[in-house]
Amino acid sequence: MMKRGFRSLHPLVCLIYFIAAFTTLMLYQHPFFLVFTIILLLCFHWALDRWRLLRGWGKMFMILPILFFIITPLINHRGNHLLFYLFNNPITLEAIMQGWIHSLSLLAMLLLFMSFNLVITADKFLFLFSRGFPQWSLLIMLSMRFIPLLRRRLNEIITVQKSRGLSTHDGRFRQRIKNGLLLLQILLTWSLEEGIQTADSMAARGYGLQKRSRYIPYKMKLIDGISIIFLLILTILCLFGWWLGDGVLALTPILEPIFLYGREWTFFFLYIVLIGYPLIMEIREQLLWHSWKQKI
Amino acid sequence: MGDYWRGQRKIMKKYSARFYIFLVVLILTVLLLFIPLLTTEHYLFASVIFMIGSFFPFFLRFEWKKVTGRELVMLAILAALAAVSRIPFASLPSIQPTTFVIIIAGSVFGAESGFVVGALAAIVSNLFLGQGPWTPWQMYAWGMIGLASGLLKNTWFMKHTIGRTIFGILCGFLFGWIMNLWFVIGIIQDFHWSEIIAYYSASFLFDLAHALSNAFFLIVFAKSWIKILSRFKKKYGLLL
Repeated sequence: MMKRGFRSLHPLVCLIYFIAAFTTLMLYQHPFFLVFTIILLLCFHWALDRWRLLRGWGKMFMILPILFFIITPLINHRGNHLLFYLFNNPITLEAIMQGWIHSLSLLAMLLLFMSFNLVITADKFLFLFSRGFPQWSLLIMLSMRFIPLLRRRLNEIITVQKSRGLSTHDGRFRQRIKNGLLLLQILLTWSLEEGIQTADSMAARGYGLQKRSRYIPYKMKLIDGISIIFLLILTILCLFGWWLGDGVLALTPILEPIFLYGREWTFFFLYIVLIGYPLIMEIREQLLWHSWKQKI
Repeated sequence: MGDYWRGQRKIMKKYSARFYIFLVVLILTVLLLFIPLLTTEHYLFASVIFMIGSFFPFFLRFEWKKVTGRELVMLAILAALAAVSRIPFASLPSIQPTTFVIIIAGSVFGAESGFVVGALAAIVSNLFLGQGPWTPWQMYAWGMIGLASGLLKNTWFMKHTIGRTIFGILCGFLFGWIMNLWFVIGIIQDFHWSEIIAYYSASFLFDLAHALSNAFFLIVFAKSWIKILSRFKKKYGLLL
């Protein structure tokens, strides 16, 4: 699939967006902000892959936030608005609000990381990593190459050893665990010996003789520079808003009304633009595409 | 005679340096675990600082070190092995020998390699399974487990089955507690003792399973794995 929209930007821009979004998301603990964050992120996921990834993770998305929503009021008893008693436990309105905020912010965080996985693919991750840490990124790349190989070998070992009766599927529990690690032990000795060959072939091709060169597949364009400046300004403004105390729902001593008022709207607007930035890029791409089609 | 004493002093120096590193890491880890309970104002900031302070020196030390191709490949294989080691145990819930592989790697190849294998296993397995807010915590926890087992490798503790078993059990619980921090710090920002205890007791059974499986693996397999890796290290003259 062609990379377009937000994903066609330089990986550094994407990384800055995710760091900024993650920071502001952690700081702005307000249900009003969080609900809009979730809506925007869901739209972004729709634009990215039509929710294909989200469908696979559906269960976790339901269970964890609901768990938080239920547990928090049961163990948190702070607040003045007593609603009712559950098994001699006072349930307060503040605690329910807190649980609501927790589960929303967990959901938003998970959604943000899902989109991180879609946007910052392994190659972009390594590109970003290799700027500061070339040795680590070489090591990560080597290790990533070994994972599919070891998987194939392991399946081979499992098939062969099954014929000897070594299996993790039947027998007593203790024996199954033992068999599992015996399979790994075979994999260990096999792979270490083979690994030496890989290393020697690396040495034969001149590893370590010179400083390693790098292939740089991404170039900074004008729009990337503008995006970075734009995102940084928005982040600083949002941090300022948090410092002023906007965007955080005060629960104690007095429960703040959920609906925004006054200055909070300004920061709400800035925050929404920051979180929705990738969505803006996707929409821009669509509009450009339509206008070009009409020109033809 | 002079040479002998100089050598002895060098060894002493090496050991005491190791001891201090271990002490500092231990203190930082303990502080990291207790900070949410002690300070309720700036724990978020403070715990991140502690994490970076105890993680980055080792991370950068490896980055700047000159490593041969063989050593590099071997570290990559050990980390990949730790990451795929869950596959044979897919039918056995909450049992995975990743921590065992990291402990063994640390206790044969030393603290730095143990740290690298632990942190690398976390990055690589998350690159395949999907990164999440838990990635840095996993890197930290497994890296520190490898580091600790490497630092203790020449002590009585790690040379006997009893000591190794205790170490494995401790690692199982510490890993779980560090991993719980990602939502304690990320989500529940305004928390209370009772909440912490409730969330930590919710994960107790999983941590117990992890600790017991570590202990089992270490009792049954530690000797043969250490033998295999030591032999390999000697055969190919790896200096890690």
